[in-house]
Amino acid sequence: MTAFLFQRALSFAISVVVASLVVFVVLEVVPGDPAAFMLGLNAAPDTVAALREQLGLDAPVWMRYLGWIGGIFTGELGTSYTYRVPVAELIAARLWVSVPLAAYALTLSTLIAFPVGILAAARRGSAVDAGVMGGTQLGIAVPNFWFAMLLVLVFSVTLRWFSAGGFPGWDAGAFEGLRALTLPAIALALPQAAILARVMRSALLDTLEEDYIRTARAKGLTRGQALWRHAVRNALIPVLTILGLQFSFLLAGAIIIENVFFLPGLGRLVFQAISARDLIVVRSVVMLLVIAVILVNFLVEIAYSLVDPRLGRRV
Amino acid sequence: MSLLRIEGLELTIGDTRILEDIALSLDAGDVLGVVGESGSGKSLTALSIIGLLPEGARLSGRIAIDGREVVGASESALTDLRGDTVGMIFQEPMTALNPLMTIGDQVAETIVVHRRAGWSGARKTAAAVLERVGLPSSQISPDRYPHELSGGQRQRVGIAMAVALKPRLLIADEPTTALDVTTQAQILALLRALARDEEMGLILISHDLAVVAQMADTIAVMQGGRIVEQGESSAIPGRLKHPYSRALFEASTHLPPKRARERGEMLLSVSNVVRDYPLPRRAFWEAKRALRAVDDVTFCIDRGENVGLVGESGCGKSTLARAIVGLETVQSGQIMLAGRPVAGLHNTAFITRRDMQMVFQDPYGSFNPRHKVGRLVAEPLHLLGRDAPDGAARSRSVTNALEQVGLGSADADKFIHEFSGGQRQRIALARALITAPALVVLDEAVSALDVSIRAQILDLLAELSGRLGLSYLFISHDLHVVRAITDRVLVMRAGRIVEAGATETVFASPRHAYTRALIAAAPTFGRA
Repeated sequence: MTAFLFQRALSFAISVVVASLVVFVVLEVVPGDPAAFMLGLNAAPDTVAALREQLGLDAPVWMRYLGWIGGIFTGELGTSYTYRVPVAELIAARLWVSVPLAAYALTLSTLIAFPVGILAAARRGSAVDAGVMGGTQLGIAVPNFWFAMLLVLVFSVTLRWFSAGGFPGWDAGAFEGLRALTLPAIALALPQAAILARVMRSALLDTLEEDYIRTARAKGLTRGQALWRHAVRNALIPVLTILGLQFSFLLAGAIIIENVFFLPGLGRLVFQAISARDLIVVRSVVMLLVIAVILVNFLVEIAYSLVDPRLGRRV
Repeated sequence: MSLLRIEGLELTIGDTRILEDIALSLDAGDVLGVVGESGSGKSLTALSIIGLLPEGARLSGRIAIDGREVVGASESALTDLRGDTVGMIFQEPMTALNPLMTIGDQVAETIVVHRRAGWSGARKTAAAVLERVGLPSSQISPDRYPHELSGGQRQRVGIAMAVALKPRLLIADEPTTALDVTTQAQILALLRALARDEEMGLILISHDLAVVAQMADTIAVMQGGRIVEQGESSAIPGRLKHPYSRALFEASTHLPPKRARERGEMLLSVSNVVRDYPLPRRAFWEAKRALRAVDDVTFCIDRGENVGLVGESGCGKSTLARAIVGLETVQSGQIMLAGRPVAGLHNTAFITRRDMQMVFQDPYGSFNPRHKVGRLVAEPLHLLGRDAPDGAARSRSVTNALEQVGLGSADADKFIHEFSGGQRQRIALARALITAPALVVLDEAVSALDVSIRAQILDLLAELSGRLGLSYLFISHDLHVVRAITDRVLVMRAGRIVEAGATETVFASPRHAYTRALIAAAPTFGRA
């Protein structure tokens, strides 16, 4: 197990280094002069020169790379060109919205998907199963911003249980914060839950066909006992894979939902930074997201080895 | 009163009648053998007894276990019965255990669900049961997972789960089919001992008449969902009366006629071949390890000679076969076919490989299901390069190859799923013969077939090698078949050839202890 962890951690570190090189080369080297790129075609030459100096562009490429990497460790990520605030502060503030939102949505989607998927598999071919399959089909097909608008109409405009958008900040209390994130989290969770429920159902149906389920039944377990004790855990591997992908997506992919609910999250930050050609913000946010995705994959692999004893020892 | 009494049992699934008028009875402490080919309904008879039938199954008639009626019983009555009164053992030890649960817990679970016992007490009992089936905690900890055990050990765990509560009736459905002969002998001995010591009734289901003959007091022969004959076993031969039972017996002891053939010059020479598989490092700082699958193997095959290669699973025989046909690179040593190296430059390898073809074990998995038979059979023709026939000549050679194996030209336009297992193995042979090879490597080519089909394929192989002057390298774990078809035999163990010689000599007076153990373990008739 230790060797397994060591090996996974090493591959995690290598992935991060390679990713940082790619991000740096694509954003800082390929465009030619980043300062000219950021300022656009009509910029005055002295403005460009000032920015070049601020960005330290006269230094050799490898120095700039090391400077940036060092900054990631010390939190010195530079100052945003458009927001005029340190990038680290900017990102930290946004993370306080995006990470809870992603975790909230993922929790909801898991809480919905697991029982629904297990129920559908247990009652295969029944009306319940048909209903689940139809409902999840709809959940995958309908875009989440439409769900979002529907939720706002019902719960904010009509029932007035939640506000229609904005984020009061965690200073207003955990309850208020969670309340503001509830509708966005539901809107994000529903399509994810639909996908996850289908994966859970088909993985379970596959495991229910396995010989060891028949063995379990021959030992005298009821259908339900065989399902809960033997099938569910065996069906978790594909489900964990999808969960990992969904978390990575939720962290950065919530742009549209953040826009619908006016949430100051990472998605909106990256969107605005790209629109404004603020490469200083873009490179750090992109790097952060890359690290997050690799980290999630790393955690998913550890989770695999906890679920399946065959994986941890096979090094 | 009989322990088990089945009367007038009928089973239909959907609109298909699977079992008809089954009548069986078994007393405590007795062994009932049920024999039949695939599709004869023997497994479904077993599943009927514990009420574990597929959806849409309708059962009628009577099944009484210890006076309790099974047909029409409620699901909760059936779950009480399963695992407690009736234990069942299945064929596939590799897949019949939950891979994520320790073996101790899997055995303990039987006790927990029936006795409402706590897990800690159940685990103690489970350890004792595992010890009883030959897995003492001192050697195989109950905390191990199934993947850490060998096939035979896993089957012992399967048996432990079934007998944990000392059931009155034990049903074993092909319990040793997936195991090596020496392991099979051990498992059969264990089952016999358990049945005797615990006064259990044992139903042993098998396609292998010899296995059943050795074990059973009474025997039932099934064909097409019916019992065609039932009677005392006493090691059988003269006792079977029904024409189907007789045919089954004859097929399982069938020997194709051996013809004395002219032996030519050396065809295949394998010298000092070594094949290593790299193993992952146990730790980052350790040296790389390797598994030596084939260890310094040397032998040769002459033209017109059939050579057998026997050994248990994992001994490296399939790896060796793949190396011979050039599918594996070897780390050292040389393999030459008709004086040319098998591995090497692309073109020479092509020329060499057309003289050598391979037939695999699985008649279901070794064909692309989306291609028609004509295309499948013609595939090796690309080895002929510019000499490959095209157009009408190509279909003539496909027809020719199909006719050689007893099929017709019309079969070239069909898909592989339209054929039975035996026919597919004929198609695999046609595919091998199309390049007119000198050597055919047969890797367990008849192991997946029913005995009657196996007898036909063995006859066909004998006939082809006589007519076309083929040489075979015949790889099998089945000693009976190897003895029937080969002139010379090689015995392989842990990557090495431990004994080699003329087949009859080796079988009649084996020199190596391992060969002796293999021969002693193989089930035969008349050795009750």
